[in-house]
Amino acid sequence: MTAVENGPLLLAHLTDGPGYAAHQARFGPLPKADLGAIVAAADAVAVRGRGGAGFPFAVKLQTASRAGRRTVLVVNAAEGEPASWKDSSLAQVVPHKVLDGPVVVAAALRVREVHIVTPVERPEVGASLRAAVDERRSAGERLRWTFHEAQPRFVAGQARAVLELMAGRENLPVTAWQPEAVAGHRGRPTLLSNAETWAHVGALVRLGPDAYAAYGRDGHNPGTTLLTLGGDGDAVVREVAAGTPWTEVLTADQLSRPVLTGGYHGTWAPSGALATLTVSRSEMAAQGLALGAGVVITSAPTACPVERTLRIVDYLAGESARRCGPCRNGLPALAGSLRSVVDGIGQLGRVRQLLDIVERRGACAHPDGTARLVRSLLTAVPEEVDAHLGGWCGYRAPTRPLSLAGAV
Amino acid sequence: MTAQAPTAAQRRGVERTATLRVDWPLCEARGLCAELLPERVGLDEWGYPVVTGRVPERLLGLAREAVAACPRQALRLIQS
Repeated sequence: MTAVENGPLLLAHLTDGPGYAAHQARFGPLPKADLGAIVAAADAVAVRGRGGAGFPFAVKLQTASRAGRRTVLVVNAAEGEPASWKDSSLAQVVPHKVLDGPVVVAAALRVREVHIVTPVERPEVGASLRAAVDERRSAGERLRWTFHEAQPRFVAGQARAVLELMAGRENLPVTAWQPEAVAGHRGRPTLLSNAETWAHVGALVRLGPDAYAAYGRDGHNPGTTLLTLGGDGDAVVREVAAGTPWTEVLTADQLSRPVLTGGYHGTWAPSGALATLTVSRSEMAAQGLALGAGVVITSAPTACPVERTLRIVDYLAGESARRCGPCRNGLPALAGSLRSVVDGIGQLGRVRQLLDIVERRGACAHPDGTARLVRSLLTAVPEEVDAHLGGWCGYRAPTRPLSLAGAV
Repeated sequence: MTAQAPTAAQRRGVERTATLRVDWPLCEARGLCAELLPERVGLDEWGYPVVTGRVPERLLGLAREAVAACPRQALRLIQS
């Protein structure tokens, strides 16, 4: 179960409920905006994709509008990462804020076709968005909405996998020879963005760039960001002003231990590293840290980050679509090499060799994301890794060799 | 290896190069690419191609042969 906290912008006024009447009563009619104005506003406040890759929305929109054929819009709420709940939460508590985005952009592009992709294993997400679309149809809005259900696997929400699903094929990644914005659904220019991204676009058009930017912490970080805070117990979805210091998001105790930022394809922040940083994609990137889709996983005092990483890599290896050879063979081998390290019988050289083998050798970013996680482990907690290589784990009783740990 | 005469492009100071890209879901590690273009294609421990660097003009012909020879049509030469 996930808790959703009240937030400053997208998660404001949650007590209004998810209905269209309340949405309209509070915010009024959606302003008309032409394409140039939306591109300029998105560029001014640097709206970036919130699915993880962080691609500038303005560039995508401009590319998709220039291709000469009718643009297809896609709201991607598939959220394949099980640790992430922010898109599911948005869809359930403020579905009309998500839909404002495609509605205003469809009008600007003079197109009517919008696709919505939701996770089949979270049926409440699709149900909420369907109900919201029905309300808009009843109110006389005339877009053609099509719903699709993504399969319950990590890579199902990847852009090309979503296009495959929309085309009636298996919901798995294929090689992209051109950006979706140039040639996507049935070869048409396709503006495929994450549900949170669309909600930001809607809020931006309603507020205008200056008022939207003011929701950020300072001039450099306009707007807000959704986070899924996890670790022990239930996840919490929280919206924070962009540029909020991590010391205001996590406790001093949590910050004193390694924190996994950016989810399973993300990075380990060393103990204390986040204490001097803010919730800012660019600031974190400068330190080699990922914000990804906003998943933040803290560690219990007894949780060894090396063993935690092994469990995640085991999971990710199992989530390979098994279509690309280097991923199908390399990720299980990588998990095996990491298991050997955890068990105190492995070599880091083999781990590094496998990281080099899997990176940039697949149709999607699954192997790259997995490699990023493992590389960050090696740099963030070298003492813990060294301890395991020496047959010990500092998170267990210090006098007990690992080789006996499982036998007792 | 004998020295080759510079091509027209090289004399102008610009060389036409290209990038080899693998269509990974199609590739089944048949390995012909590595046999035909060992200068740019190695194999990993499972027999899948490891492309090393861009294809210079002098290797473009061999690269095109490797693309054409792939039984899975999983190799493409992207001109740039």
